[in-house]
Amino acid sequence: MNAPTRSAQGLYRVLLRLAPRRLRREHAAGMEELFTERLTAARANGRAAVAAVWARAAADLLHARVRGWRPERVPLTVYIDERTTLMIGSDLRYAWRALVRQRGASALVVLMLALGIAANVAVFSLVNGLFLRPFPFPQPDRLAYINTAAPKWNLDVVGINFPDFYQWNKDQKLFDALMHYDFNAFNLSDGGGATRVRGALITGDFTKVLGVEPILGRTFTADEDRPKGPPVVILSTALWRDRFGGDRDAVGRTVRLDGIVRTIVGVMPPEASFPSEVQLWVPMAGDPAQTYQSYSGDAIGRMKPGVTIEQAQADIRRAHQPIWDTKEKDHIVTPFVRPLRDTFVADYRGAAKAVGGAVALLLIVACANVAAVMLARALARRREMGIRLALGSSRARLLRQLLIENLLLAAAGGIVGLAAGRAAIAGLVEIIPDQFPRWAQFGIDGRTIAFALLSVFVTVVLFGWAPALHALGGDLRSAVSATTNGTTGAPRGRRTLWTLVAGEFAMSAVLLVCGLLLVKAFDRVRSVDPGFRADHVLLASVPLSEGTRPKPEQWTAFWNELEQRVRRIPGVDAAGVITCAPLDNCHTGNFYQAEGAIPRPDGKNPVVLWRTASAGYFPAMGIRLKEGRFLTDADAVTDAARVVLVNESFVKTFWGEGAKGAGRRIKYNDAQAPWITVVGVTADVKHYGLERPMRPGVYFPATVNPLSSMTIALHTTVEPESITSALRETLRQMDPETPLSRPRTMETLIARSTAQRAAFSWMLAVFAGLAFVLAIGGAYGVATYLVTQRTREIGIRVALGARTADIYRGVVATGLGVVVAGVVLGLGGAVLVAGQLGSALFGVSRYDAGVLSFVTLVLVGTALLANGFPARRAARIDPMRSLRTE
Amino acid sequence: MARDAMKPHLFYILLALGEGDRHGLAIARDAQALSGGSVRLWPATLYGSLDDLRTRKWIEELAEHPADESERKRYYRLTRAGRAALNDEAERLARLARLARARARLGDAR
Repeated sequence: MNAPTRSAQGLYRVLLRLAPRRLRREHAAGMEELFTERLTAARANGRAAVAAVWARAAADLLHARVRGWRPERVPLTVYIDERTTLMIGSDLRYAWRALVRQRGASALVVLMLALGIAANVAVFSLVNGLFLRPFPFPQPDRLAYINTAAPKWNLDVVGINFPDFYQWNKDQKLFDALMHYDFNAFNLSDGGGATRVRGALITGDFTKVLGVEPILGRTFTADEDRPKGPPVVILSTALWRDRFGGDRDAVGRTVRLDGIVRTIVGVMPPEASFPSEVQLWVPMAGDPAQTYQSYSGDAIGRMKPGVTIEQAQADIRRAHQPIWDTKEKDHIVTPFVRPLRDTFVADYRGAAKAVGGAVALLLIVACANVAAVMLARALARRREMGIRLALGSSRARLLRQLLIENLLLAAAGGIVGLAAGRAAIAGLVEIIPDQFPRWAQFGIDGRTIAFALLSVFVTVVLFGWAPALHALGGDLRSAVSATTNGTTGAPRGRRTLWTLVAGEFAMSAVLLVCGLLLVKAFDRVRSVDPGFRADHVLLASVPLSEGTRPKPEQWTAFWNELEQRVRRIPGVDAAGVITCAPLDNCHTGNFYQAEGAIPRPDGKNPVVLWRTASAGYFPAMGIRLKEGRFLTDADAVTDAARVVLVNESFVKTFWGEGAKGAGRRIKYNDAQAPWITVVGVTADVKHYGLERPMRPGVYFPATVNPLSSMTIALHTTVEPESITSALRETLRQMDPETPLSRPRTMETLIARSTAQRAAFSWMLAVFAGLAFVLAIGGAYGVATYLVTQRTREIGIRVALGARTADIYRGVVATGLGVVVAGVVLGLGGAVLVAGQLGSALFGVSRYDAGVLSFVTLVLVGTALLANGFPARRAARIDPMRSLRTE
Repeated sequence: MARDAMKPHLFYILLALGEGDRHGLAIARDAQALSGGSVRLWPATLYGSLDDLRTRKWIEELAEHPADESERKRYYRLTRAGRAALNDEAERLARLARLARARARLGDAR
């Protein structure tokens, strides 16, 4: 026999390990012989043939291995099928008994699974509510959001000019219907007193677009949705219940809205209050012939079936062409169309992804733990399996038996988890209701249940199979005859156990690092300087009815008097009015030219936040002055020189870093506009949120452009909430028709602006904590189990003179080595994952030494404890007793 | 009695043993020759099938080996049941062949 043949035979002998053990033991020589013959024959035909023989032989061995689980099917007859079903029944009974017998371990497994599944169900219903079935309307995929942008003016969303909308609605071809809406708050009065309600101006087709029907009465007629049409109103279910006690006769009655009497024609179902709590609807009654360019509100269209967003956008732009051709030759505004979902849920997408990933990791950790417990149980049951095999059971039958046990456990975990997840989501929505859109629903639906079932199934397949194979694999005969249960039985099983523990620690490290980084980022956001004093500040909006006070001079007089009176309330030491307070979700943008401005790098004129304020506003809010002076009462006199206050960002944007602002001049973005002198520069106020950048901003004296609705800010020496009733009383004395709207403290506004981040960070931190507890429990369980299995061996070693410290060190070292490997792996993973968190980290480095070292210390430290207790027990083993135990 | 077709490699193994007692390698050679090269038995398949046929009691292993062969080879012999199974399969194939020929002739006539 030549050398290549000999080495080929050696290689084939290695390959033979792929084949089932029985085949190998019985026929190794014959198989080798046949292979050699095939190989020799192939050599004559070149290398490709030789390679083919090798591949074919390997496939042959693998195939035998796969088939090895069940012998070649002997033709089956019908009665065997019946027997199989009967056997599944007995399997179930047996599995149940086995689980009840090990009540503690079973409960532990169910609990861990339930935990993982509950967290997943909760997060899944959030994701489901926000992304998968976001709108409570039929066929929400056909809904498109339409608005206009002005790229030349650096504006992403301009609003809609009614004549433009009218033109689109007339010429569009790919939509079933279009609606135009704009929010408006109304003073609703019916004799008893006034309240502020949130309403919408809306075009008549909105029921057709959204696919909703009034639950009472009717929608607007075309005649009502016309300039100077009959004054009508539709109520929301909530307002109808609140104001009319759900009386069906409410339709036909009247209410006074901003001083105008309107007839109620219908009541809408709750889901129609879209996209935020709309309490009533009045017809938009737009005039297509209006000549002034007013852009506000949004539009939604219901696309015809099968129409894509791109086609819809092309359709609207085509319909818009006549406007470009005639009225708007500069092409300033361009209509755009995008999926409705993108418009309203984009904010949550990043957070949902991160939380979803975290919760999936948590489930994996829980499953790994379950697998470890089941594996330990399975290894301990090898002897039982061996005996049952010897008594004539087949391996396939035993395998099925074990899988059924796992399935029972997983099903129990799934049911408990589903219920717990349902409770968790209800609790979550309760805690932070402001953070979720009202129209989103987070109930358990078919999708959620399917998701839970899938989780259970994956759990069983991934984590039930391996323990079962370990229980049945290898030589069970020796498991029966072995005097101890499993000391020598399963080195592979032990390796698998440790791998699971290492994996758990790796994933816990990932979660802990990310969770802590986010908590740290949250802390950093909270300590951002808002640019004003947050404590002891109360805000309230005061909307005047233009019906009773039509003239701007009347408004100015009202604001002056209100400010004077409020200052006299005991406990108030400063007060002032502003158009738009910080963190209050309002914005009015404008464009300006600045004298001697540096050229903009992008050539675009930046949007400037426009506000008017009274002189009292600045001390009330504690806004800091950087240079020059604040506005004074003298600036508010009608014929005074025109002055303005700008913020630091304004100075930086227009005149450059470190430039002076006071004394320079700005004007509206119009050649004819007069120049206005900047009298002072204030510190930036975080108007849009603590973690959002501030735009350039200006404050004009409140008298420059009087408004009928203002927000009053007051600084108090007592608890700000305690002033509310006095404030309401002051207002009532001035005008009983004017409501005090949304009294709120600045601290509430700050908390609300960070609530989403808070929820997001704490959710991740909680998941990380749970995963951590699970991992520690897993490490402890595995170490304890292995020590128990080694009782006899340790006993022998102690009898042979090993010292307590040696035993202790040996046990701890193994466990700790595994944990350290897992943690190192996890830290690496965490740094990679944290890179994906991006802006959510708010500038906290993903290599943050504090967090990384803290996580390492905590994980390794607790792992030391988790291994230490079993090790102590091992070290105390009395050799005489341990050797006698068997 | 209608019966499922026997797997080809099992059929050829039985066929090879039908001519006389054989060891594994000889069975593989015979099967290849008898099938005109189309059935090439690979080691695990061959010996797996032999074990399988033995559980079905269609073949049996010889306790004593023919004198001229070396000690380690294991010889197999067709049992009475195995021969019956082989005959059944041959009969089934023949029926099938007759049917196919009849149909083919009908097809020609058309």
